[in-house]
Amino acid sequence: MRPFTYSRATDPSSAIKMLAQNPNARFLAGGTNLLDLMKEDVERPNALIDISELGLSDIKPIAAGTNQGGISLGGLGKNTDTANHLLVRQNYPLLTQAILAGASGQLRNMATNGGNLLQRTRCPYFYEVAMPCNKREPGTGCGAKEGINRMHAIFGWSEQCVAVYPSDMAVALAALDAVVKVRNADGQERSIPIADFHRLPGDKPEQDTNLPHGELITAIELPKNRFADKSYYLKVRDRASYAFALVSVAAALEMDPSDESGKRIKAVRIAMGGVAHKPWRALKAEQLLVGKEATDANFKLAATAEMADAKPLEHNAFKVELGNRSIVLALQMAMNGGKA
Amino acid sequence: MTNHGMMDEHESSELTEDEKRLFADLMPEDLTEILDTGVNRRHFLKLMAMAGGGILAAQSAVAEQLMTRPFNESGPENPTSDSLENRVDVSFNVNGIARKLTVDSRMTLLDTIRERLDLTGSKKGCDHGQCGACTVIVNGHRMLSCLTLAASCEGKTVQTIEGLAQGSSLHPMQEAFLKHDGFQCGFCTPGQICSAVAMLDEVKKGHLSYVTQNVRQPAGPAKLSDEEIRERMSGNICRCGAYPNIVAAIHEVHSGKPVEQIFRSV
Amino acid sequence: MVNSRNPMKDTTKTIGTPISRIDGIAKVTGKAAYSMDHPVKNSAYAILFKSTIAAGTIREIDTSTAEKAPGVLAVITHQNAPKLNVKGGLRGGALLQSPEIEFFGQNIGIVVAETFEQARYASRLIKVTYDKKEPKVDFDKLANQARLPKDKEKADANRGDAKAALSQATIKVEEVYQTPIEHHHPLEPHAAIAEWDGDKVTLYSSAQIVNGAQSAAAATLNLKPEQVRIVSPYIGGGFGSKGGQWANLALAAVAAKHVSRPVKLALTRQQMVNSVGFRQHNQQKVSLAATADGKLTALAHEITTHCAINDEFIEPCGDCSKIMYDAPNSLITYRVVPMNLILPTYTRGPGKSTGSFALESAMDELAYKLKMDPIEFRIKNEPERDPSNGKPWSSRATVQCLQEGAKAFGWEKRNLEPRQNQQGNYWIGYGVSAGTYPAHQRPTSASVKLKRTGDEVTATVELAAADLGTGTYTILTQTAADALGLSIQHVKVKIGDSDLPPAAGAVGSVGAASYANAVNDACRKITEELVAKSGKQFFAPPTAAQLMRSEKLTDYQTRVDSKAPDSAEDYSSHSFNANFAEVAVNKSTGMVRVNRFLAVTGAGQILNPKTARSQIIGGNVWGIGMALTEESVVDPRWGNFVTRSYADYHVPSNLDIGHLDAIFIREKDEHVNTLGVKGIGEVGIVAVAAAVANAVFNATGKRVRDLPITPDKVL
Repeated sequence: MRPFTYSRATDPSSAIKMLAQNPNARFLAGGTNLLDLMKEDVERPNALIDISELGLSDIKPIAAGTNQGGISLGGLGKNTDTANHLLVRQNYPLLTQAILAGASGQLRNMATNGGNLLQRTRCPYFYEVAMPCNKREPGTGCGAKEGINRMHAIFGWSEQCVAVYPSDMAVALAALDAVVKVRNADGQERSIPIADFHRLPGDKPEQDTNLPHGELITAIELPKNRFADKSYYLKVRDRASYAFALVSVAAALEMDPSDESGKRIKAVRIAMGGVAHKPWRALKAEQLLVGKEATDANFKLAATAEMADAKPLEHNAFKVELGNRSIVLALQMAMNGGKA
Repeated sequence: MTNHGMMDEHESSELTEDEKRLFADLMPEDLTEILDTGVNRRHFLKLMAMAGGGILAAQSAVAEQLMTRPFNESGPENPTSDSLENRVDVSFNVNGIARKLTVDSRMTLLDTIRERLDLTGSKKGCDHGQCGACTVIVNGHRMLSCLTLAASCEGKTVQTIEGLAQGSSLHPMQEAFLKHDGFQCGFCTPGQICSAVAMLDEVKKGHLSYVTQNVRQPAGPAKLSDEEIRERMSGNICRCGAYPNIVAAIHEVHSGKPVEQIFRSV
Repeated sequence: MVNSRNPMKDTTKTIGTPISRIDGIAKVTGKAAYSMDHPVKNSAYAILFKSTIAAGTIREIDTSTAEKAPGVLAVITHQNAPKLNVKGGLRGGALLQSPEIEFFGQNIGIVVAETFEQARYASRLIKVTYDKKEPKVDFDKLANQARLPKDKEKADANRGDAKAALSQATIKVEEVYQTPIEHHHPLEPHAAIAEWDGDKVTLYSSAQIVNGAQSAAAATLNLKPEQVRIVSPYIGGGFGSKGGQWANLALAAVAAKHVSRPVKLALTRQQMVNSVGFRQHNQQKVSLAATADGKLTALAHEITTHCAINDEFIEPCGDCSKIMYDAPNSLITYRVVPMNLILPTYTRGPGKSTGSFALESAMDELAYKLKMDPIEFRIKNEPERDPSNGKPWSSRATVQCLQEGAKAFGWEKRNLEPRQNQQGNYWIGYGVSAGTYPAHQRPTSASVKLKRTGDEVTATVELAAADLGTGTYTILTQTAADALGLSIQHVKVKIGDSDLPPAAGAVGSVGAASYANAVNDACRKITEELVAKSGKQFFAPPTAAQLMRSEKLTDYQTRVDSKAPDSAEDYSSHSFNANFAEVAVNKSTGMVRVNRFLAVTGAGQILNPKTARSQIIGGNVWGIGMALTEESVVDPRWGNFVTRSYADYHVPSNLDIGHLDAIFIREKDEHVNTLGVKGIGEVGIVAVAAAVANAVFNATGKRVRDLPITPDKVL
């Protein structure tokens, strides 16, 4: 770790101002990813602004506005508290499952909702400062593209970067059309739809998100939906627990109440983790399923269509087949009521 | 099993009366002394006299014979040299004792309790939040002390493995780990035990896990199958592979009923 | 089930009873002092820094910025390091003696500072330029250049003519099995506190071989052994990586000398991957032929692996194949290619764990071809004597292990054909395997000191043994108590210190046999001496405790240098096991879970069923990791490990492990050593991976010959 000044923020607006003034400052919330990367000398802030005592951790219903009837998750709420909150587990069980699929009990007790969104990639070339990495050091090249890339992207990668985004929580948020609320140094609040929050690497892989330096995630809003009865978060990994995803799928279904068979899909959300630089919303599959019957054959068709666009690298071709099967299985599990 | 000609050997499923008496009878100050400085001759003889054929006595005695760590014997809490950079003053409570320290802003809670407070029970297995050996309980929640800055602990309450035993008695989780051999090398053990203790509090609060069948269930104490214990304890790596014994120990503490140990030979 | 002690056991003895670990309280209270826990005043902190190329020469190291960084006391590189003896016995080189680079992550310097934070930061400020050479790290490309080993033990071993028998055979299996590089990754990283007192240095450091660490550190530092003291009362896991010692041990002493203060030097987890060896990648071709009724006619096991660029270590993958089955024609060969990676080393069940994966998978494949039950197939090829040397077995329980295990596991429920057992979205499969590990007693000295106060007699037993979670403290307490006629509370065991009588290492499953027999010998000797001293004759032999009282002695001590009985050489002595696995394979995702695992072990006298069971299930967890999760991956362009943390290298987590069960065969081995102890630390991992892989085949019909069996390989 490089030397840094440590300060405890007392209110959000002064915290944001302090951050905005110093391009090398970082907010410290849970610290689970930031301190890890600082010890690796990947992150090198010269100032940490501790925002963990700022509040901004409430989970509450949204009374007005575009997301009325939904819920708001405080940006500094702990992952554990979010996953276990009654409003979340009963109305957004997909999010509960996704959070609980990530990390460990200890880490979820520390990690915050906003921090989870800002997790950086686990690409080993990003983590090892002796290796080239355009994300860590623009212009040095991508170690993974021609290297060991079993864990890497099959969608949306660029010549500059093939890394994947590691969060589970954000995959569920992508499926649930969450909105990220951020505040800048002037006190202005704005909303970033989750689909626009994370980026594809393009030629600026050093930018993980569209959140500019100097803004604070104050809350994450979840619009009201009718997916709670039929959703499931599936995570496929190299060990049973405490491992990042090879592929994960957040699937949610709403059946058409006007259909007598009860099998017609009114709405569907599918997002994937472990396959791209951002949560990968499987829009093609969704489009194919709307209005169709929820059958294994249709699930398979949709999954196959989605995965047809995948561009695997040398070591991760298996993710295409695995992604295909995982979409089908997640949809089946969702239809089954999302029981583990 | 017996129809296969096997002989099961059962250890008494609870601590023996001898073992219970051993700890119950010890004066609190004696135990503190035992745990802090190793057993001296007087304690050793007292333990022997009290324990009879008890198993635990031999284990206590080993505190005399094995090299254990004296408590807070070396060095001041604050270094005399002006070697600290970006100094941060922090006051927090560790195992019931108020501590006031000046730390380098970079110093983790783990390094602080180990190097400055001489509480070396918490271990540095990876220093990156990937093994759980440094798990301590902060404000009642299990946390990784290696990914916590000491500077951020202002006003907080920290409990480490050294703070679990109450007066003359081990914490039930410590006793259960002993009985079920929930360790081999013992390096992950302090983290496992702290994690397990706080995990059972999470269960009481109705917290869910990735293997919970129905996450939409209303709040209330969660049911704790062995599979639930395994998932909830997966943040604590045990390289020796004592997992089944760890699960048995936690199951015993949670249920309050003895979990049988079976040693099979044929 | 009867809630009683085993009636076959002498209730006055503690050997064979499941007493809880003697060192347990110290471990559950956090008081057990591992290497970095010893209280040393005024210590400085050191951190190593490492090369970022795999082959070449350091052109320049610029340490100036680091030296000026706050708190820095010294930066030591090959330019200012003292002259060390690189042939002193530490493994892996990297002692800062030259600018030559032989592997990525080689130690190239040490930063010493007032605080850990300052040392770590300054280590990032070192600037190094290199003259690079093309590294040899791509095993797949280099395997065809592999040469004959220098190690004579690894010379081609021929019996009969296996190649001819194979070429004539119609029923055969010829397959290549791969096991990846694995790392030991003990929870405690290798670390040392070095404290000098004049020309003597104390090293608080974990050592599986206490005297070996002492002699290697001394020789490397150009000291006499008595100038180095190793203090190692607790070891936070070793698994072979803390047997032979590595550069970090001597470099801690170098740093402490340099700054004239005690120094703490711990490897980071990331540094563990290229500092303390690993299990090498093994490419194993196994060829088996059999008659139609299942009698083996040929067994060939051809191994290709890699070693360090200037040093050779090859794990003996062919050992199980040498002795497990009665095949008239047998061939075992090794070929090795030097590569720019740190020296491989002993890793739990060295050779046998990985070799048995190949052999026992092939046995399963051939049994399937023969449409024979794989247990029946193995029993049919059970050898009466050791096929490799014709010696009689001191004891061998393979058949019993297989048969008793089959009963206990419910093997009759297994289908011979795969893909027959579905439960929901899972395929269920059963697998079996058999394994072995040699039993040896190594020379060990021990002293016993008796003290009497009134009627109370206490004993102190001392030897430089090691307990890395193996139960040494506990079994030696039991052994001494029984031999002296004392209760365990009256026995004190001191180990883990090179000042004590020299002892074998806790390696290669020799610990229990070597230590327990030495302690037993010492206790018997002291009893004999006391009898002689009394000048009396006894009808019933008295215990040492009784003699201390009757002769009114207050202090008496003796020491013994113990070794295996000469007659042990006349027998082939090994522990044997059989493993049973039930797996569930997710049909959609390919994720494999071991639901149940049973190991049945014949290892002679079991000194403590509780610690022994833990050893076995621990080995099983290792084997399950080998089968399903563990793999270290090298980028062949740079020679660096891309799996450099616990997040990338998957040690099994708690949820990976289902129900494990262990059964011991009651076995009295009268030949192997006095106590009949054969050792269990290694055999617990042997053939475990094969049982799992065989179960995956039985579940899915998919034969995975390339470990670990990750979801992508099962799809």
